[in-house]
Amino acid sequence: MEIIAFALRMAAPLIAGLLVILCYVSLHSGRREEKALIVLQDEQHDLVYPVLYWENSIGRSRSSDVHLEDPTVSRDHAVLLRREAGWLITDTGSRSGVLVNGQPTQGRTPVGVGDKITLGSTHLVLRRTSDISGQSAQRSTLRYISAAVLEALLLLYLSMITVSAALTTGSNTPGLMGGIFCAVTVVFCFVSVKLLHRHSFEQETLALLITGTGIILSSVHNERQCMVQLIAAGIGICFFCFMLWFLEVPDRVVKWHLIISILSLLLLAAALIFGKVQNGAKNWISLGPVSVQPSEFVKICYVFVGASTLDVLQTKKNLTEFIIVSALTVGLLAYMSDFGTALIFFCTFLIIAFMRSGDIRTVILALTGAGLGALMILSVKPYIADRFAAWGHVWEYADSSGYQQVHSLIYSASGGLFGVGYSEGYLQYLFASENDLVFCLLCEEAGCLLALICAVIIGGFVLYARGAATRSRSTFYSISACAAGGLLVIQTALNVFGVVDILPLTGVTFPFLSYGGSSMVACWGLLAFMKAADERTYSHYKRLKKTKPEEAPAAAA
Amino acid sequence: MYKTRARSFPVLMITLAFFVGLGWFVFNLATHGAEWVSLPQNGHLSENGALEHAGSIIDRNGVVLAHSAGGKRIYHEDPAVRTACVHVVGDNTVNITTAVQNLYRSELTGYHFAFGQGLPNEWKEGASIRLTLDSNMQTAACRALGDRKGAAVVYNYRTGEILCLASTPGFDPENKPEDIETNEAYDGAYLNRAISSAYPPGSTFKLVTAAEALESIPGAEKITYHCEAEEDIGGAPVTCYAAFGDVDFKHALMYSCNLYFAHLAVDLGGDKMTARAQRCGFNACRSFDRITTAKSVYDVSQASVNDLAWSGVGQYTVLETPLNMAIRAAAIADGGTPMMPYLVEEIRTADGSVQKAQHTRGSSMMSPATADTLKEMMDYTVANFYDKSVFSDVLDVCAKTGTAEVGEAGEPHGWITGFCTSEEAPFAFAVIVEHGESGYGSAVPVASAILKAWEEEQKTN
Ligand SMILES: [Zn+2]
Repeated sequence: MEIIAFALRMAAPLIAGLLVILCYVSLHSGRREEKALIVLQDEQHDLVYPVLYWENSIGRSRSSDVHLEDPTVSRDHAVLLRREAGWLITDTGSRSGVLVNGQPTQGRTPVGVGDKITLGSTHLVLRRTSDISGQSAQRSTLRYISAAVLEALLLLYLSMITVSAALTTGSNTPGLMGGIFCAVTVVFCFVSVKLLHRHSFEQETLALLITGTGIILSSVHNERQCMVQLIAAGIGICFFCFMLWFLEVPDRVVKWHLIISILSLLLLAAALIFGKVQNGAKNWISLGPVSVQPSEFVKICYVFVGASTLDVLQTKKNLTEFIIVSALTVGLLAYMSDFGTALIFFCTFLIIAFMRSGDIRTVILALTGAGLGALMILSVKPYIADRFAAWGHVWEYADSSGYQQVHSLIYSASGGLFGVGYSEGYLQYLFASENDLVFCLLCEEAGCLLALICAVIIGGFVLYARGAATRSRSTFYSISACAAGGLLVIQTALNVFGVVDILPLTGVTFPFLSYGGSSMVACWGLLAFMKAADERTYSHYKRLKKTKPEEAPAAAA
Repeated sequence: MYKTRARSFPVLMITLAFFVGLGWFVFNLATHGAEWVSLPQNGHLSENGALEHAGSIIDRNGVVLAHSAGGKRIYHEDPAVRTACVHVVGDNTVNITTAVQNLYRSELTGYHFAFGQGLPNEWKEGASIRLTLDSNMQTAACRALGDRKGAAVVYNYRTGEILCLASTPGFDPENKPEDIETNEAYDGAYLNRAISSAYPPGSTFKLVTAAEALESIPGAEKITYHCEAEEDIGGAPVTCYAAFGDVDFKHALMYSCNLYFAHLAVDLGGDKMTARAQRCGFNACRSFDRITTAKSVYDVSQASVNDLAWSGVGQYTVLETPLNMAIRAAAIADGGTPMMPYLVEEIRTADGSVQKAQHTRGSSMMSPATADTLKEMMDYTVANFYDKSVFSDVLDVCAKTGTAEVGEAGEPHGWITGFCTSEEAPFAFAVIVEHGESGYGSAVPVASAILKAWEEEQKTN
């Protein structure tokens, strides 16, 4: 029995690793090649500008997607966008305005093939790529590894760890919980592919892999927590689907900006007023039998508030509204002594602010502001520094404030590559082992290979989100995916490095893995941003509406 | 959109930093994992039953001191040997922090860098460890110490092999006394006094003062002094236990005239004395085989002239571990630069790989000429003051006794330190008997008993 459990523990990370590689291969090969969607032809000067993206800035600025060498054109003159309805052009505060077929425009104006766009003294005609010789047509084939293959491997992995856990504990709980979760993944995959016609299932598979690992891990330690995890995962998946629906039309989402900003601040204010203190941070609200952590949901709101479509970004260069929301969020969290979450928000702010404005000064100002804020907090509440006193010296504080870290390191090393077996570890007896210490708990019981795979998956989300940044359907998706990915990576870094003493221990959760219902739901919500950045997520629309003779993206309105 | 992507590089940097951090963690795990795993906090090792499948520990002659069979840890069949070796071998708990079973527990229990503690029990095979220890000499030392508290160190000054690292009181690891925590007789039973305790060295420290005088004062050997048993130095008396009259260097060492060496210490001054003491291993801990010893102390930074005088004869606040004293003896025996002692001869893992001990020489404690001079004087002391046969009938021993006053705490501690000049037994040693009254009366018989055990061993072989 012991040997079978050990063999399964050895095989599980290999299957998980294979799954991760397959998912990223699939994500990568499924990407559209960066070729012109349409072209803009300057007949006067015999120039052809390829239009590569769904949202393109046109202007005299060197970094414009369509760079025009014309002194009468403004630096950021206009934005050419592609929407379901066709191509649109928006003047983004230019001096000379935008004319379509000689008519002045206001707001978003549809442009079709053959239409003439006038910017300053430049005249551009919209052409299909195939109409211009020397420009190869965009292939619209989308390649990917079938969802069924990924789901099958995922089920194999989940059953392996379930059996391994069931063998070492000899109880029914892991089998039951693992079984229910497997069923959930099958239903999710079926709904996603058959009902929603979404053919890619990579990000979901990876998130399900971590979620499932977390559920099996808690099933051997605490049945009640495992139930919570399972229910939260179910809610999280539903929330993920809702988010994908909501995110479908970026222009609609952008209109909700103000409401979402207010909502996020209200959530935090509620935590401040009705919240109760847990682990030194006041961030829990009790709703009858359920406790929620509003700051987790604020993360999603925050990404919404930060991201925007290119024409909006280019028109409203001012970050004031976003900075106010950010400062209030970070300030309130610091006031509630939830420094880990405050730090996560602050880093996310830097990511978003820089992606929106490209302004180093904003970043430096924000860093200075945060530094001053931190000094102020420390001068008012000097005891807070004591919470981080053990950082870098945990071996000297092995019996006091470094206790958790020292034991985490010892037990991580005891686990080796494949772990000592589910529930066979000693880290489980430590406080907060299922959330703050979960990475090391996984190291000890399932092996550091599997724990590292979980961490690498999170890092991989970002690499993918960045790779998709120019291929998604709007800068809204590029920014939100990078922000959500960055947020998850920072959170993972604080969790993992906090407990292994590379960073101070701040007590944040490991995405998808740690025990915590709010965190689980919020992570699935954040995943939706990254899924939405994938062009293929919404490509079924074109497939369903086979009204046009050709599927080429140059279809005119 | 190109611009948006270009501006996402901070996210990329953060993610790369994250991967670097993970790599750093893995690197630390790979390099320090074994060390972390062997810490006493580790439940996989410290909990009952952790040694159920552990490897065996054998002494230099192949005597099995501990092994596991039938899911049980079994120690040597003779309770006297078990008790004598408990501080070196260890027991099932992690109470004796310097014991091999504690410090090498990850190897013994079959920790594997790739599998951690995770291998199934059937597949777990602990490494076996061979010690340099001679269990006969170890047992003889404890038997000679008897009910008295004390420690004895014997090691080979040519190779560094520790043959005896005894400490009393000990206890039987298979029948641990229930009153071990409360009974005063077991005070410090978890402590290996040979390495973890530091005592006032008393007259044995005169060898350090002598070494400094021989190298700093030209013609020091010719200095004579008229001893009247008591003299005021720096406003307070320094005393000898008898009035020795006119003594030169050699006789001052032989009679152990405090006043002679007190004057030398004052003449040399605190700085020179401190520098020599530090060369001789004071104000530092010794480390070998994952053991870190207690610190030997020579600190005269706050000392008055009288204090400095007393420090020259190993009183005042001077403290030394028995092991350090044995290393000093080894230096005198072997040209001024000692071989460093070690205990673990080889670790043989289940997969057949063998890790052998490294023989290392320490830093110079004194010049070869000084070492030879001191050696000759110690030889003279034994030949003329005691009798060569008090130690051994076959081995030629050079030694220096010490009687360290402990003030209010009771009778003085008895010391003996020295070495055998015989090539077949190049042993340096140090023995302390707590409150043994005099070095000659208490510690010499222990040293003698250890050497006799070695002689017996030679006869049977
Ligand atoms: Zn005298």
